[in-house]
Amino acid sequence: MPEPVLTITGLRKFFTVTRGFPRARTVTVRALDGISFQVRDGEAFGLVGESGCGKSTAGRAVLRLVEPDSGEIVFKGENVITASKARLRELRRKLQIIFQDPYASLNPRRRIGKALIEPMRVHGMADRAECEERARALLAEVGLPDNAMMRYPHEFSGGQRQRIGIARSLTLEPELLVADEPVSALDVSIQSQILLLLQRLQERRKLAFIFISHDLGVVRYFCQSMAVMYLGRIVETGPIPDIFREPLHPYTRMLRDASPVPDPQVKVAMLRIEGEVPSAVNPPSGCHFHTRCPHVMPICREVYPEWRQMDDERGVACHLHAN
Amino acid sequence: MTTATDAPILAVENLVTAFRTGGGWHPAVRDVSFAVQRNETLAIVGESGCGKSVTALSIMGLVPPANGRVAGGHIRFAGRDLVGLDEEEMRKIRGDRISMIFQEPMTSLNPVLTIGFQIAEALHYHRDMGRGEANAAALELLDQVKIPSARQRFADYPHQFSGGMRQRVMIAMALACRPELLLADEPTTALDVTIQAQVLSLLAELKAAYGMAMIFITHNLGVVASIADRVAVMYAGEIVEIAPVNELFARPTHPYTELLLRSIPRVDRDTGGLSAITGQVPAIGAMPSGCRFAARCPLREPICTARDPLLVPLADAPDHRVRCWLRAPPSEMASEAGHA
Repeated sequence: MPEPVLTITGLRKFFTVTRGFPRARTVTVRALDGISFQVRDGEAFGLVGESGCGKSTAGRAVLRLVEPDSGEIVFKGENVITASKARLRELRRKLQIIFQDPYASLNPRRRIGKALIEPMRVHGMADRAECEERARALLAEVGLPDNAMMRYPHEFSGGQRQRIGIARSLTLEPELLVADEPVSALDVSIQSQILLLLQRLQERRKLAFIFISHDLGVVRYFCQSMAVMYLGRIVETGPIPDIFREPLHPYTRMLRDASPVPDPQVKVAMLRIEGEVPSAVNPPSGCHFHTRCPHVMPICREVYPEWRQMDDERGVACHLHAN
Repeated sequence: MTTATDAPILAVENLVTAFRTGGGWHPAVRDVSFAVQRNETLAIVGESGCGKSVTALSIMGLVPPANGRVAGGHIRFAGRDLVGLDEEEMRKIRGDRISMIFQEPMTSLNPVLTIGFQIAEALHYHRDMGRGEANAAALELLDQVKIPSARQRFADYPHQFSGGMRQRVMIAMALACRPELLLADEPTTALDVTIQAQVLSLLAELKAAYGMAMIFITHNLGVVASIADRVAVMYAGEIVEIAPVNELFARPTHPYTELLLRSIPRVDRDTGGLSAITGQVPAIGAMPSGCRFAARCPLREPICTARDPLLVPLADAPDHRVRCWLRAPPSEMASEAGHA
């Protein structure tokens, strides 16, 4: 089994938000409430969950784009949290991110060529001519024509912009890519183009991925293992085939069974209608999921279940699987 | 499932809806024909810009008049043509006999009015109910869409509800006058999957209870499979395939439908390969002649770019119609192109 390249331990990030009118109140959002996971060399690791579960915050915290409150991030033996400014700069070369909406991350008044060349120049990777050559090679690698160099972001469609976002994340030859909902905004036919591209890149460049998505079908296709998050905590981790065959946590099962399947013979689980879904601002007592869980027991309302590592790869936090 | 014996509640015939872009009028929807029976759900599926929402807006008479218009065809609702109806007449039908729910409920709900007021408003307007009577009916509707402690929440404002509950409030508003036809335009796209499953089951339940017809617009073929009785697949402004739901998924016949189904990563199986459809949808102002999918189609033959294909029934399945020269040749050509 390949070595872990990235080890996250007890990562925590709380935000304080002041909102409300006329009497504003300050509330704490427990976006990441102590999460731990490992990404192995060359592996695509899926981080899944519904909106507000903290998956995007987790992705950003890995790159220290949001500064975690506590916890450890170790990339290839080096602690990312305590790294000096200079070291962090080096580390960021190896850790890059792809966003859901690449248009928002591209300067509308800057040609694509410049957007690709700039990071290489900043990091002093090569002289101008060589950088330009590399940029052209990257464009070819992501399936864009050579003349894209001289064009502006608005001249491209959504799928092409995502290709540009991917090309730019590759300029510094990273070893790990955080992909935050990279295909969620795209149409089905374009989504599959981008997934196939990412898969080719993963194989060719031996990239590791943290692949953040709310779409279990996409994660099942692209990733080798995954973690399921609910209100700031990881409730289950394990290899993709095992989790999908036999989910241990009732929330994982609910997500899987509620995901629509393009086959009228397979009916989506009809779920009981609920009132307010709890949020990370004020998570329920005990197991956060107990308000929605079909197997809720008295202990679930009182005590957050301890993490149980079932074997080398699988783990779950649920009283049904307590020691 | 439906029995298609009596007259359809809605029959769209050769609908053309055009928009003005770059100085000229271009059809966003072209030659669209379909019928919906009472108590039937027709799903219209396609990617962005395929014309599925424009079709719905045309039926509702909500095509923005500044730069859009229904340029041809008929929309027969309960036997009456809605095309050319004046706004006064249309307003009597809209929200009463035909209503619509949208993707983002927050943009369709008025943020400064209580949800109770907003649901009662339709009853007040269309049914001439007094305030007290309309409020009582609105409360009952909130119960029907399963808003917990509806009485307490009646005077709440939209921002006090979660996304899934807002969508249920929208459904209550749309159903207030017991419409005969409900248009649902991507009603679950902005919701999380567990909430989506709840809203879909609620819609199916209410549709059966009310016996209404539903047109469900979505880009998600998984959602289609779980809610539709029949499916129309749209591409670049045209219906390219229409069939009963089991037939469509068992035997996708248009190359676009077939490729689309093969490019969905599935949650219920370990996917081997994934197909991609190369290229992209042609722009509205630059539609090619002949088949609009030809440029991306792996089966392309010379005839595909030369002549516009027609939506014709398959020889062995008259309710399964396909717009493709090769997969569904018109009967007089069948012998000639039958080998394709």
